[in-house]
Parts: sequence; C-alpha cells; structure tokens
Amino acid sequence: MAAPALLTVKPRARRRLKPSLVAGLVIIGAFVLMALFPQVIAPYSPTAFDYQAVLQGPTAKHLFGTDNFGRDVFSRVVWGAQLDMQIALFTTLFPFLFGTLIGALTGYYGRWADAIFGRVVDIVVTFPFLVLVIAIVAVLGPGLKNMYIAVSAVGWITYGRLIRAEIRGQKRAEYALAGQVMGYTPARIIFRHLLPNAITPAIVYWMTDMALGILLGSSLGYLGLGAQPPTAEWGVLIADGKNFLATAWWISTFPGLAITLAGVGFSLLGDGLADLLRPRG
Amino acid sequence: MSQTILRVEGLSKVFPVSYSVVERVQGRPRRAVRALTEVNLEVRRGETLGIVGESGCGKSTLARCLVRLYDVDSGRIVYDGLEVSGLRGAALRQYNRRVQMVFQDPFSSLNPRMTVGQTLREAILVHRLRKPEQVPGRIRELLELVGLPADAENRLPHEFSGGQRQRIGIARALSVEPETLIADELVSALDVSVQAQVVNLLLKLQEQLHLTVLFVAHDLRLVRHLSHRVAVMYLGRIVELAETERLFTAPAHPYTQALLRAAPELDPSRKSVVEAVKGELPSPLNPPTGCPFHPRCPQAFERCSKEVPALLPRGPEGRWVACHLLEATP
Repeated sequence: MAAPALLTVKPRARRRLKPSLVAGLVIIGAFVLMALFPQVIAPYSPTAFDYQAVLQGPTAKHLFGTDNFGRDVFSRVVWGAQLDMQIALFTTLFPFLFGTLIGALTGYYGRWADAIFGRVVDIVVTFPFLVLVIAIVAVLGPGLKNMYIAVSAVGWITYGRLIRAEIRGQKRAEYALAGQVMGYTPARIIFRHLLPNAITPAIVYWMTDMALGILLGSSLGYLGLGAQPPTAEWGVLIADGKNFLATAWWISTFPGLAITLAGVGFSLLGDGLADLLRPRG
Repeated sequence: MSQTILRVEGLSKVFPVSYSVVERVQGRPRRAVRALTEVNLEVRRGETLGIVGESGCGKSTLARCLVRLYDVDSGRIVYDGLEVSGLRGAALRQYNRRVQMVFQDPFSSLNPRMTVGQTLREAILVHRLRKPEQVPGRIRELLELVGLPADAENRLPHEFSGGQRQRIGIARALSVEPETLIADELVSALDVSVQAQVVNLLLKLQEQLHLTVLFVAHDLRLVRHLSHRVAVMYLGRIVELAETERLFTAPAHPYTQALLRAAPELDPSRKSVVEAVKGELPSPLNPPTGCPFHPRCPQAFERCSKEVPALLPRGPEGRWVACHLLEATP
C-alpha cells in the first residue's frame, strides 16, 4: 500500500541558536580560556611584587593598575579566573550529580524514600544557606577543600527537589507506563526515559548555581574562609583592595566586574540552554 | 476461534482515598474508590472484544490490570493457562511481551526525546527478538506494517500528527510480537477522519497477525465496527456481554438499552421518546446497594436494591446478562 499524502512527514524545523546562548558561550568561553592558559594571557606573575610601581592606576603597561605591593591587577584577575572557574565547577558538580540521582530515585519510587527525603529537605531549608555553609567551614577549618565539602553537603538538596518534582510529573506520562508494559526495568525507565525529559530545569539551574558558586567562593574568600591570600581569587582580590577603595578604586573594582561578568555569562548560558533543550511539539 | 485465551475471575480493584486525621478522629470508615468489582470475563483467541461504558466505569482500570500496570486486589487473571496476577520479574516481562498495550494519548505515550527508530530498537533488543544486525530490517518491516513512511525512523515524535503517533504506538506494541493487544481508547483523541484510518489499520493487523484484541472505548459505533463481542461495563461491573450484532440490535440489560438509546441518531425520524436514564451516575466512592444500576433504572423493582445480580448466561447465543428482570422471567 502506497502511503497517501496524509502520511507525509512534517518538514523538520530548523533550529536557530538564541543570542543569549551565543553571548553566554562567548563570555564563559573567554573565562575558561583564561583559566586554562593564564600564563599566556597574563603579562605578569600574579604574586610578583614590584615596589617601583605601587598603587598605580590603569595604564597601558598595567591594564587594571597595580595594588599596594605593586602586583599587576589584570594578571591577578586572569589567574583568579583559574581558581574561580574551578570553584564554580567543584561547588556544583557533586550537588548536581548526587541531587539528580537522589531526586530521580525518590521521585520515581515515592513512599518511604520520599518521606525521608522530604524531612531532610525540611530541615536543611530551615537554615539560611550561607550561614549553614559558614558553620560547616568553621567546624572543618578554612580552605578551598573544606568549602567544597560544605557547599556540596547542602547544595544537592536543591537539585534533588527539582528532579524529584519533574520525575513525579513525568512518571505519570503514558510513555513511562508504556515502558513498564514493554517490560523495561525500573533503572532503564528512570535513567533512559524519564531523566532525559526531567533534567532540563536542573541543567539550567546548574548554570545559575555556578554563578552563585563563584559569588559564594568570593564571599568566603573575602571573609577569609575560602581561598587564602596571597592566592589570586576574585573575592580575595576585592578584600585586598577594600582599604584602598577611596584612593585606588581599581584594585577591588576589576575583580568585582569579573565576578559580575561571569555571573551574567552563566545566566545567559542557562537561559540559552533552557531554550535549546526544550522538547519540541 | 472459540478457544479461551484470557480468563478473568472475580477481579476487584480498589483505589484508597486519602484518609485525613480529622476523618480518623471522627471514626469515619476509610473510603475507597471501587474501580472494579467482581469482574468476570473470557476472551477468545483471535477475537476482538469491545469493552464499552461511560467514563469512570472502570474500563481503563480493567485494561491496566490486565497488563499488570495495576496490581489487582482480589480475583484471578489467567492467560493461556498462566496465572498472571502474581507474576514478577522475568516472568512478568515474558507475559508483557505476549500481551501488549496501546495507549490513549498520542502526545504523551511516546518519549519525546527518542526517535521512532530508537523506540523500536530498544523494545526489540531488550527482549532479544533479533540479532543487532537484523534490527534495521525489522524496524523497516514494522514501519511498513503500520503504514508509516520509511524515513520516519530517524524522526522525533513531535514531527508527526496524532494519527501517525498512534501508528508509532501500535508499531512499538507490535515490535515485541505480542499475541494480544489491549487498545485503551486508541482513537478517542483523534479527529474523526483519522479515527477510521487507525481503526482500519487495527482490523488489518488483527487479520494479518492473528491478534486477539481488547478494544476499550466509549464510542459505540467504533466498537460495533470492530468487535466480534462486546462487554458493557457500569460502575466497575460487567452488566452485559454478547455478540456485537445481538447486543446492538436486541440489548437485554436496561443499562445497555439506555446506552444505545443515548447514542446520537443520524436519522431524525427515529427520535427516541423514551427517557433513557434518570439521575446522575452514582459515585464509585459510595456505590448503591444491590444492582449498581437500580437507582437510575426505569424498570427497577424491590429485589434490585437488595441483591446484586450475577452475570449469568441468557439464551443459547452466548449472551451474559446481570439483571434480575431476566431471572424473574426466564
């Protein structure tokens, strides 16, 4: 039987990249390049003192000026990208993976697993996030590694809640029931069928969370609980310049702009990804 | 033809309703929706059995119990000599390979992120029905069988119309080479013009593949067109079961009569003057005592409100009816 005209397939819609995705990719791409090759991009060492050039304003020689030890602020911001991109990744990667796993399992199975997860969420959301993280860092001691541990211990909750809610919605869809009738194992239904349809909000949130991770890392660095001086980290850099704000504004301002720009970049990336990952039809 | 392949005995399914603390303190009994009550049914190999009834009568619940999407509360489901209601793991998988289901909603019944080819390949490979190198050929075969173009393989569900998606759903069910197909409101979400195409496809497939089909629907014309026999459900019970033409030309149960009378008539001169049914459909939370239909039945008498009529054979032509009226006048 020849297929009648009714059965011809609709032409495939062309996908256009959203400007926000392109802008986000460019900004974050630039920071990633800085993080990967700081020695190529930065003209000076981030920790080299130069007492001949202390507290100089932005010039062609020192693009972002110098600080009170004569360190080149531009070089420190570039090297800071390495650390802050690392912070963005390591404060969010474990929460994303673990939260997704727990959210998928509790969302699919429900019952007692779900009840326990619900209580844990209730307990954790009672505390302000930053206070809880600072408390854990205070117990473990300052430093990047302990900061990662503290953020991971709290951060996965958000991903778990996002995924759990999505999975609970998706598992009622008939394609999930069809999977059961097809005789597929729960693992196959959860990870191959439900999760790809449930993970988009978590990925989008992940991008925003990386921006928040940088802010958090900078905040803790500023408070002296995260990266330790003289390491070039944006929060530490801002703290370095706080005594010179009136006389040498560039020391704190440029790292601050870098944080802002990274935050905007991740947000644009998340927005663009949300559009790209949305299923059509 | 008359060999029984699927036998359902005394099947009941209850969905508990959330039980609040206030209700508990007040000592009220725990409430539950009685979706299926003591359903008895026999399906013969190779036939199409239509299951009709108003929405909420339990026909979809019955379909889902039969493929074990729902666990039954009591009663037996026997498929080809195999007790189905307790199956687990590999045995359940094997049963589901033989008894497949096509779903109602063409928009949610396909994974939006998997191409048609991926969907079919997965089913074939999970059940190890073909060697990996034979899979592409089998996919082409299945697409041709359900009347989809060969280039559908690499496309995502959103690129198809509702009717085409139902064909994909049928292809997915057929990919595991089942003997029995349960179609739950297969075409009720489709345009009338497309309904006919999909229904005719089902007829063709049944003939070609010798399938046993359970066609669950609320559209009486479709059921009449497709089915060899028809079961009428009301409030979780089967009230009448008969061969299609007998049921449609001479309905025995007052509910069946009312249902047929309520169906829209194309010929205006045959306008019905008799009141079909009175009152509202009772809540399955609180089903009436006795015959479930007695509060709305124009011919109800005293016994109907006290005693549940059993589904018993009436007449020589294999008709089963659950009604006291027919017992009173044998």
